[in-house]
Order: sequence, then C-alpha cells, then structure tokens
Amino acid sequence: MSSSVDQRRPSLPGPHTPPGTDPAGSEPVRRFPRRVRDKVAGAGFLAPAVLLVGALLLVPFATTVYRSFFDDRRVSGFAGFDNYTLFLNDPVLTRSIQNTLMWVVGTVVLPLVLGLAIAVLTDGARWSRAARMVVVLPYALSGSAVAVVWNFILNTDGAANQALKAFGLDSFARGWLLEWPGNTLVMILANTWQSAGVAVILFLVGLQTIPRETIEAASLDGAAGWRQFWYVVLPQLRTVSVIVVGTSLVNGLKSFDLIWVLTQGGPGRQSETLAVSMYQETFLALHPGAGAAVAVVLTAIVLIASWLYLRRQLTPKGD
Amino acid sequence: MRSTGGATQRSPHSLGRRSVLAGIGAGAAAVLAGCARGDSTAVQPGTTSLANDNATWDQGYVAAGRELKKLTGYALRPLSNPNPTSYRQVTQISLQTTKATDMIKWASGYFLKSLARTGELSDLSSIWDAYERKGWVTSPARDAMSYRGSVYGIPLYESYYVLFYNKAVFRKHGLRAPGTWEELLHNAEVLKKAGVVPFVATQTGNWPAYEWFQELVSKVDPAFYTKLISGKASYTDEQAKQALQIWQDFMRKGWMTAADFDQNNGPAALKSGRVGMFLHGSWQSQGIAATGMKPGVDFDAFVMPPVDSSTPRSVITESGVLAVPRKAVSHEAAMANAANWLNPKVQKVWTDFLQDSSANPLSRPGNPVIAGLKDRALREHWTLLPRYGESGPPNLIQGNTDDLGSFMTGASSPDATLRSMAGRATKEWAAWERDES
Repeated sequence: MSSSVDQRRPSLPGPHTPPGTDPAGSEPVRRFPRRVRDKVAGAGFLAPAVLLVGALLLVPFATTVYRSFFDDRRVSGFAGFDNYTLFLNDPVLTRSIQNTLMWVVGTVVLPLVLGLAIAVLTDGARWSRAARMVVVLPYALSGSAVAVVWNFILNTDGAANQALKAFGLDSFARGWLLEWPGNTLVMILANTWQSAGVAVILFLVGLQTIPRETIEAASLDGAAGWRQFWYVVLPQLRTVSVIVVGTSLVNGLKSFDLIWVLTQGGPGRQSETLAVSMYQETFLALHPGAGAAVAVVLTAIVLIASWLYLRRQLTPKGD
Repeated sequence: MRSTGGATQRSPHSLGRRSVLAGIGAGAAAVLAGCARGDSTAVQPGTTSLANDNATWDQGYVAAGRELKKLTGYALRPLSNPNPTSYRQVTQISLQTTKATDMIKWASGYFLKSLARTGELSDLSSIWDAYERKGWVTSPARDAMSYRGSVYGIPLYESYYVLFYNKAVFRKHGLRAPGTWEELLHNAEVLKKAGVVPFVATQTGNWPAYEWFQELVSKVDPAFYTKLISGKASYTDEQAKQALQIWQDFMRKGWMTAADFDQNNGPAALKSGRVGMFLHGSWQSQGIAATGMKPGVDFDAFVMPPVDSSTPRSVITESGVLAVPRKAVSHEAAMANAANWLNPKVQKVWTDFLQDSSANPLSRPGNPVIAGLKDRALREHWTLLPRYGESGPPNLIQGNTDDLGSFMTGASSPDATLRSMAGRATKEWAAWERDES
C-alpha cells in the first residue's frame, strides 16, 4: 500500500505546479482555491446518493405527510388532523398500537437475552461451530418463508396441536393464530426463532474482542463463573448490546412480513401492528389518508425511539 | 494496487471506470425507456390484451380467444398479475395512462361501480341491449354490471354458491343431497358422529369469512338479504340475528372446520373424507376435479335449502366482469370482442375450460354437476342473489368481513358483531351517497 502511495505522490497534479500546461488552463485554478474545489468535488460525489435518497425516500415521505392531512372521500379535501384522531377513537388502531408495543418489547428482550445466552454458552465450546450454524441458519431465510413454515406448526390442524394430542395434552391444543393476545405472542416467538441468530453472531464477535488479560486478571482476583461474567465480561459487551437492542427496536417497530403471511392481521384485525395497519388502511380499506397518517406516526416513533436510544448509548468516543 | 501507480497506468483504469458507469447509465436508461413504452399493452394486430388476476386461466382465455377471432378477427392475449391486491392497484393506475390494456377482468357490483365513476371505462349499454334481445343475458344481471343506468361490464362467467360433497362418503353413511333444512341438519349430525367435520368454514384469506354469512342470511330470508345489501334493512334485524345464531350453533356443535382452515386444502379434505360438505363458488369444481374426482360420478353439489320450507329457494351467484377501458390501446377491437364474448360458441369453449357456468342462459355448461344445478334453478325460478363481497361499498364489505372473521374465532358475540356491522353500514353508505352527490 505505502509504496503505491509513494509512487503516486509525484504524479499527482499539484494545484500550483501543473508542469507543461498552458497559463490559460491554470486561470480557473487560481480563481477557485483548493478548498472550494474539494467541496465542489465532494458535492459531486455525494450528489448521486443525495439525489437517490431525496427522490426515493424524502420526496415520498413529504408526499405522505402532505396526504395525511386530507380525507378519504372521492374528491379529497383538507381534513386537518382528522386522520390522526383515528388513533384515539378507532379500536383497530388502538389494538394495533398495543400489538406494536408487545412486538417491540418481545423483539428487543428475547433476542438480547437468548442471543447473549447462546453466544456465551457456545463460545469456545468444541461443538460451538455446529451450534452456531443451527442458530444462525433461520436468519438466512426470508420472513415469508419462515412464516410459511410456522403456519404448518401453528395452524389448528398443524404440527403443534398434533404433537400435543399425541402426548395426550388435548386440553392445551388451541387455535394458536386465532385468539388475541396469544396469536401476537406466538408470532413474536416465531420472529425470535429467526432473528436471535444475528444477535448470537454479534455477541460472539463482541466476546472475541474482549482482551484475555481482563479475564485472566479477574480470575487471579478470584472472580469466576457468574461474578466474572457479570462484572468483567458483560460491561465489555456494552457496544454490541447497544447495536443488538437498536436493530431489534427498529425491527420490532416495522414487523410486517411474518404477520402478513400468518394472519394477515386478523382475525378481525386483532393481530395488526402499525406497519400492517398502514398497509390495510391504504390498500385494502382504500383509505390512503388514514394509511398515510399511520405511516407518519410509525416513522416518527421509529425515528424518535432510535434517536433517543442511540444518543444516550453511543457517545462520540464509541464506548 | 500497483496499477494506481503511474499516470500512464491510471488513465486506462479511469477509462474503465467511466465506461462501467456509462454502461450502467445506458442500461438504466434502456430499462426506463422499456418501462415507459409499456410494451405489454402495445398494439399487436389481430389480438386484444386482457389484464387479469388469475394466471391459471390463461389457457382458457387463449382457447376462447381462438373462437372470438373467428367472429371478430381478434384473439385474446391474457396479461396476468397473480396477486389480486397488486392487480387492483396496477389496473386502477394504468387506466389513467394512454397505454391501458384493451380489456380488464374486474369484480362486479360496487367494485365495478367504483371504477366506472372514475370515468375511465367505456359504456357498454348498446352491447348489453343487443345481448338482451338475443336472450344471451338475463335482465336481473344488469344491475350488478351498471352504474347510473349505463352498463360498464360484460359477465365473464356466472358461478353459484353450492355445497360440494363426496358421493362415496355420503353413500357410506346412507346420506343423500338434502332437499330440506332438516335433512341438512341430519346429514351434519350423522357425519359428525362418524368423525367427519360436516362443513368447511374459514376466515383464512379474509374474504371467505362472509361465505356462510351470505348463505345463512339468504336462506333465512332472501328478500331480507336483498334489502340488507342495498342498505334498506339493518344488520341488527331479526333475520340477521337468526342467521348468526344458526352459525354459532353449528360452530359450537363442532360442525365447522377451524377458522384457520386453508380452503386450498378443501378439495383434498373432501376426497379423503375428512370434511363432508364444502361451501364455495361453483368454480371450485375445477379444483376438486384436479384431485382426480369426476364431476357427477365421484362428487356432486347442492344448493343449501331454505331454513323454512315455505321460504322461496334462492342461490347466491358471483360474476366476474370484462370491462373495456376508455383509453384502451385497441379500443375498437376490444369493443368487438366484448360484443361477442357471450356468443354460445365462445362460451362453450370457455365454460368447458372453467368447468363452471356461463352467464348466457342458452349456454349449457359441460360440467354435469353445474349443468344440473343451472337447469333446476331456471326451471324452478330460484331467486338469483348477488354475492355479498360485491354488494356494497368496498370499505363496508372489507370492514364487515373483518367483523365476521372475529365472530368466527369466538372473539365477538353475534349481537356485538351485528351491531358493529350495522354501525359501519350507516357510516359507509352515507359516505358512498355523499360521494355520489
């Protein structure tokens, strides 16, 4: 690397010494000092990304915010905050918020605890590679594929109930996807089955970056087992935990695919999360204004939650 | 990394990068241009494009198109989008462009009215009148195809809601197709005792939740059903309560499949004798035949008898619709094909493929099960009622179907369900009327 950089240096055209170029060519260079040129060049490189994000993300977002202030009649008129008051008086949206909260708690706590436990237990063990593979594999599957598999299990005629009946536990057999809040809880479990894998990987990486000396020092001081983990290992996994919680938080808030394939938010719109409600209102109930309001609220919640959390947890030093 | 060393070596490298970027740019431009041109709907001489949401029917359209070509000079070119939700959105948007498909498949009733009132569909009234003069349509079918007096759709087919049953299973238990309500209950009891779930009922996929609702309400009182779907009767009226109580009673007795039963497994469950009777549109005949059962030999179907024997017989019907967008690329050709779709020669090929019934009363279905039912319905003057799914403003139907799904899982009582449906009906009918004015 260094040699190539060294070789390059002389050949780089300096701002004031362009050997062999005519004086007219150097005129613009004088008028635009290097700092300005760098800025222009930087802007040039950024432009495609900024344009893409602007056109594909910011403009649609602005349109959505705008649309949310108009009603859903055939000739749409200005409605102020009417679409937002649905959150107060529409029982479906109230239930949707309850479910979203359950999803957030479930998708943050379960992958964090399970991911950490599996990572710590398999780290260094002889069979750890195989164990890790098994845990991580579901993460490679798409949400819809996972949902189809879980549908075979959770359906009333599915594997879970058949297994219960085979063991004589008929009274425990039920319509897992039919009753609230049970259906939301089992879907959170299905989601955890898939997403715990990535938490395991992150924690394993975290564990491997912990300096051996700290563990050895703790052992010499007489700390072992649980105490060593709690006072020495865990504090050093803080950055990784921040990332795991942060991504889980966002994933929980935007959960859609699993729910859509398993229950379509039903029965009777009882298992919807905000992301599903947004789709239902916009495309099935043909209420684009209400759907836009749900989208705006969901975006605001995701942004505020992520910002508050990351601002508190990630200092500029990165620790 | 060495290649970045000298100036002489750098120039081909940056040229490479530029050509890659240029290539990507040109590729993107070509793709965009391709999209913008809308090749799929462009004029292709001798054909009319037909947008639809069921790719498994493509062969049927092609076969019917061959017959149409003999009459009009234009065959059918099906363009399928297999996801119904996405199909609805894409179609609604594309109707506003100059590249609209020549014909579209749509749902009848209020779905068609919603689309017609955007002004993007062609008026087919004169075609309808010609059909009526030839006796190729029945006049009661007109209402579900029209908006503000003008016709905007031609019926694609006419399905009946029937209960399919496995003849061998019925024979084994000494049962026959019930002629009265009491016989239906008897069949259910016998099947239940034999370990067979008597009826398929589900809310999986959302819309099937209204199948039993429309069936039971119309079998309690067909006149009330007609009033209910036109907003002139209330969901909290006695007849609706009676229907939901019957339904709840059936569920409590264990006569119905779990509310998350997958209807796609219905034909297999019927064949294996796990379920006794499968309430569904007669188009399902094709799916049951696909399991290897022969219509009329291995399986048959009956229309649910009325709850009270003095109540007139009725059958719920469903018609898909062919419509012609106002901006159809080959508009003249599309109108010609719409004017000949119900020709018995075309319908013969089409219904033989579909194994279902034609909207043309003179066209006899090739499927003996469906042909028998249609003959009887015509002979005995059964009241033909439109399906619930198309019989009200789409938002009303969507919300009420959700309520029925909730009822099927026991999450809400019959009274609470009907109150919620009635409240929504008041609100949504008012919204529809307001939009009309």
